[in-house]
Amino acid sequence: MNKKPTHIQPTLPAGAFPSVQGMWKQHQPDAAQSLLPTGAPYVDERLRGGITQAGLHEFFGGAKADSHAAAAFALLLAWRLPESDAGIFWISGDKERQTSGRLYPYGLSAMGGDPACMLLVQTADLRDALRAAADAIRSKAASAVILETHGNARLVDLTSTRRLALAAAETGVLALLVRGDAVPMPSAARTRWRICSAPSAPLPGNAPGLPTFDISLLRHRGGTAPFEARVTWDHATRSFFDAPLSGGLSAIVTDTKTGPASRQRA
Amino acid sequence: MVEKQRGAMRLAACDPAAHALGLTAGMALADARARVPDLAVFDHDPVADLNLLGWLADGCERYTPACMLDPPQGLLLDITGCEHVFGDAARLAKDVHARFSRHGLSCRIALGGTPDSAQAKARYAARAISDVPVEALDGGDKVHKALRRAGLRSIGDLAIRPRKPLAARFGKAVVVRLARLLEEEDPRITPRRSLPIIHVTQNFAEPISRTNDVLATIGMLAGGAALQLQERGQGGRRFEICLFRSDGHVARLAVDTGTPTRDAALLMRLIRERIDALSDPLDPGFGYDLIRLEVPLAEVLANVQVGLETKIDTDAAAAALIDRLSVRLGAERVRQFHARQSHIPERAALERVAQSDASKADWPKPVLGEPAMRPFRLFETPQPIEVTAGFPEGEPRSFRWRRHVHRVTRVEGPERISPEWWRHPRGYTPGNGSLTRDYYRVEDNEGRRFWLFRRGLYDEIERPLWYLHGIFA
Repeated sequence: MNKKPTHIQPTLPAGAFPSVQGMWKQHQPDAAQSLLPTGAPYVDERLRGGITQAGLHEFFGGAKADSHAAAAFALLLAWRLPESDAGIFWISGDKERQTSGRLYPYGLSAMGGDPACMLLVQTADLRDALRAAADAIRSKAASAVILETHGNARLVDLTSTRRLALAAAETGVLALLVRGDAVPMPSAARTRWRICSAPSAPLPGNAPGLPTFDISLLRHRGGTAPFEARVTWDHATRSFFDAPLSGGLSAIVTDTKTGPASRQRA
Repeated sequence: MVEKQRGAMRLAACDPAAHALGLTAGMALADARARVPDLAVFDHDPVADLNLLGWLADGCERYTPACMLDPPQGLLLDITGCEHVFGDAARLAKDVHARFSRHGLSCRIALGGTPDSAQAKARYAARAISDVPVEALDGGDKVHKALRRAGLRSIGDLAIRPRKPLAARFGKAVVVRLARLLEEEDPRITPRRSLPIIHVTQNFAEPISRTNDVLATIGMLAGGAALQLQERGQGGRRFEICLFRSDGHVARLAVDTGTPTRDAALLMRLIRERIDALSDPLDPGFGYDLIRLEVPLAEVLANVQVGLETKIDTDAAAAALIDRLSVRLGAERVRQFHARQSHIPERAALERVAQSDASKADWPKPVLGEPAMRPFRLFETPQPIEVTAGFPEGEPRSFRWRRHVHRVTRVEGPERISPEWWRHPRGYTPGNGSLTRDYYRVEDNEGRRFWLFRRGLYDEIERPLWYLHGIFA
């Protein structure tokens, strides 16, 4: 994919989009680029430190109902940013709000985030949402910009994601693209993840526990091999940790689909 | 034009040709038909008249922002300090006349020191206020008749009389009105729209129509407004562009900002966004011949030194971005969370327009060692679900939502949330429509966590229904 710009260069008139070319050079893998660790040792080890902060990352829901898990994971990842209090833009369309409901500030604060730092942008359609996201990333106004889309949208293609990726690489804003109920298509994202809800370690009285996800890295531009992991979010430290394999899973041995077997495959 | 008045069709208005035939307003239609058998009659439409008057008033705002309707047929303009744009008041009046005649409208224009005097002179086509008949006092038929009987026919006759006997005989209102007509007392007009704090105007000898020219002019005006704002130590919160087309049409564009600003470049960006966001693009027609920038709303903005620090202030960048997105998408689409006192989950959290400078709410801190008791996502309207649950007030065992059956493996609850009976006019009585909700946190066999509730207790309602209200991470 990195060869793409040299491939399209001859078709461009001389001097067209010079800044794009420049930005693309900046976008090349660079050891000095700051990485955002998830906090879970196993995942960070596989990612060699974390995900690139100045870049676009895609999160797909495993099943239709997992779009919420993808949204939650992206949001929690944004809270991992040291300066996440500078503001997080949450951009979604009318359709997403209709199908997925609205963000609930009491739930956000209970997970360790500060709802006062969230800025919600609701657009009429995806075209406006993509444009708003690009503007938000470019303006350096926020530390993270999360764009939520629902369904297989043709507008979210290589061109539009590259626009977001280049803007993020330029300004250092973490750009997260949540794609509920969609199949992966070619995009310019640095990493692509599939997120599923996972059974939590139960609390006394068999009560649901902390947010737990099965995450699988599908694609990494830096060359990291795909892997799967189960992580749990701890709101006290605002970080993920590797979900305990024993004990935590003992209560759900009946479930074969997302059991320990999938973890061993990684 | 005819209108039904007290059961009879009467003429409400007639054109000059009808006047020449001896028809007058107020005449019965039958009488008029008897005199002129081939009379063309139309229904009188006062609302359309008023709309036309409003449209004319919009157009007249090119002369002054202080413009007032004087129904049914008058317009009052306060041109104090505005004449110089046209040379003097007489040239301004000539311009008004020319523009009205271009639309086929006849008008009478009078200039006066007070609105009352100008209005009376225009209405009675008098050159001087002393020639205006006493009817201009608007005192009612009785007063006018009594004055005429006393030989006082015009305002000039009244002006030389002592006022006290007049007040004793006809009441104070007549004397006050007389003083206003004689320009002894200036009441000022009440403009249709509140006067802007600052307005900058650019007139053109020839109409301009190219968008670039219009934008360049607005940029120049913005610079002028920014200078004035700086002198006052203020920043505008709202800017309005009025584009006056040469055919009398007026287009208005308003731009709101979240924080006071006098940055002309920023303002221009917002205005470009605004023009891009128009659903029907600006139609310059034959061109704009006057463009005005108004600042109706301004707040204190201290002078700050810029240029020494190269780092962009994140707050300023966020405010600028919020303004841009609000202008493009509509202010109600860019929001922030806002807390409200309520026990009902969906009422406790609102979203408020981010541009309004609401103080940031304090949200509860997370409880250590306890998972979130509230979902991170909430459905505006709870989603109805089919639930298998223990009877009577047992935990849910499985439920069907969006054609998918979820088997519940972990559950915590109920958390009972009572209706806010103190908001209800009759207070709390079982079965008055406000039902208790029992909330459960559940996790299904696939690891998804939901927030369900049963609406109603079994002693409140016969068959309580179940809803899915939110989703946990």
